[in-house]
Amino acid sequence: MSGVTLTINGQHVTVPPGSTILDAAEKLGIFIPTLCHEPSLPGVASCRICVVEVGGGKKLIPSCMTAAKDGMVVETESEAVVEARRTILELLLSNHPMDCLTCEKNGDCRLQDYAFMYGVKGPAFEGKHHDYPIEDDNPYIVRDMNKCILCGKCVRTCAQVEGREVIDYAYRGFDTKVTPAMDVSLGESDCVFCGRCVALCPVGALTWKPLAGKGRAWEFNKEEVTCTFCESGCAFDLVKKDHRVVGVEPKAPAPGKPLCLKGRLGLELLYGDEPEPPKLKEDGTFVTVSWARALGLEDVLQKMKEVEDK
Amino acid sequence: MAEVTLTINGLQVTVPQGSTILEAAEKAGFFIPTFCHDPELSKPASCRICVVEVEGAKNLTVSCATAARDGMVIQTDSPAVIEARKTILELLLANHPEDCLTCGRNGDCRLQDYAYMYGLRAGGFDGERHSYELEEENPFIVRDMNKCILCGKCVRVCAEVQGNNVVDFAYRGFNAKVTTAMDVPLSESECVFCGNCVAFCPTGALQEKRLRRSARTWEVKKVKTTCPYCGTGCNFDLNVKDGKVVGVTSCEGDVNGRALCVKGRFGYGFIHHPDRLTKPLIKKDGKFEEATWDEAVSLVAKELGRIKKDHGPGALAVLSSARCTNEENYLMQKFTRAVLGTNNIDHCARL
Repeated sequence: MSGVTLTINGQHVTVPPGSTILDAAEKLGIFIPTLCHEPSLPGVASCRICVVEVGGGKKLIPSCMTAAKDGMVVETESEAVVEARRTILELLLSNHPMDCLTCEKNGDCRLQDYAFMYGVKGPAFEGKHHDYPIEDDNPYIVRDMNKCILCGKCVRTCAQVEGREVIDYAYRGFDTKVTPAMDVSLGESDCVFCGRCVALCPVGALTWKPLAGKGRAWEFNKEEVTCTFCESGCAFDLVKKDHRVVGVEPKAPAPGKPLCLKGRLGLELLYGDEPEPPKLKEDGTFVTVSWARALGLEDVLQKMKEVEDK
Repeated sequence: MAEVTLTINGLQVTVPQGSTILEAAEKAGFFIPTFCHDPELSKPASCRICVVEVEGAKNLTVSCATAARDGMVIQTDSPAVIEARKTILELLLANHPEDCLTCGRNGDCRLQDYAYMYGLRAGGFDGERHSYELEEENPFIVRDMNKCILCGKCVRVCAEVQGNNVVDFAYRGFNAKVTTAMDVPLSESECVFCGNCVAFCPTGALQEKRLRRSARTWEVKKVKTTCPYCGTGCNFDLNVKDGKVVGVTSCEGDVNGRALCVKGRFGYGFIHHPDRLTKPLIKKDGKFEEATWDEAVSLVAKELGRIKKDHGPGALAVLSSARCTNEENYLMQKFTRAVLGTNNIDHCARL
């Protein structure tokens, strides 16, 4: 396979045809910020933070969706690029709560990373602010839509599982919002709380409730484990603080696989130092259930008991 | 030594007489938050965040400055204690910038730690806010007095550890502020920029200028090392990000505690400086050219031998560096006396 050769920030690089400019920059070790881009999901190029300057082109172009072409001359940190990124960040921050102080994502937030990187101190524009109530009517996911930057990663990852597609964009313009059908809460929706969306959210809009208040991102050590509850092989993170496992977070589904709540609960029981009792939705509300029930082992246990009794 | 036994959160603990409640709680493994307290400094007990409930006492008691007494029964996390701490934090946050987003101390800030610990969001009270100008006209320290919580550690460390008395409280009430004499910037004061005030500051009010602009606190790996500048042998942590030294912070050093001088704390720029020599240079036809170590060492040996032969050992002199180790300096003088045959050896003593 012949490659295409282009120049990025004065360095030559050859990549397979079909690679994006972002891929080529990565190969050179040149960092380009992204918010909506995720290799495992279809690209949408909506956030524009990854724009770069391509010699001869009038407009800045998104590097995540533009194919690298032979002879391209790309600048990833030119004055125009930096100005565009700063403006994007200023616009996002103009409608973003300034509460890193106690935000669970503080220390692991792309918006914060890039604001620091480009010296954007805070909102630069006066304007409307969303004031959505924080949604935590379920035991697993806290949704704070005031912090959502509408990158749509949650929408796309949810749509990858056949039959789910629980959330999507609703409303228009400034009122655009990611919601389940009919704008009900996640607790009332068909959501199965696999946590794929939480794993990909770049900001504090979706956070994992069982870890709320348990520590800051920089206090945690994460260790990846592969779920053994079925043959899919999804990845979870054991979240450790002071050498204790304080929680289990969904990390990444195996290719084409769903991730599931059962797997996460099972791993919590297996590895957690103080696993909290599982909660499942029954007749529309979440109730605490036995581990056997949560892990679907009731029948097996019942049969074992019958055998034992004989 | 006399001892006292008291009960903290139901657990009996025995400590030497004269210990504070805070020290007794630490021994028993209970965490009590503190802002103005530091074991190396005097105790003003001004921030009140360390209050605890002592059975029989009318008021909540500051644990950092109250001596533990026999038979005391103490609660460190009772509802009254928690309410008091929350109110203190709300009052502090009512006049604190909400810019953890880009604050250099995000991730290493006591105010943030305790706000998270007690589940507070900013904005408990509405009121006046300071809007002091950022003081950043010197190359080492950024002072943002909007973030100052007036714990006074900087004042005390300057007076009690450094012995310089450069800063103190000025003005009254809400306008109280830590300043230099006559409220001039640090650069116009007697400050020697040891940065010990920065090391003790619990919030983002005092920050190392270069370090806090080049890395977030959670991005750096800390590597403990010994300062190479002089013979004191201070310890500190090199802050390393992506394989590069981006700054220096204090650690508990064997000889220096957390105190450092301006060179140790801020003089790390040479490490990755482009002017730094990393390969030996030999002058050929009036121009320096890169050479191998073999070439360079052979040339030096040859020339030293030639000078000694032509002019005698008295024509040679050696000046050694304070940046080398004792062992290296010992070898240098041994080489000078035994090999070169001269006593002309000296040392710069301090850099």
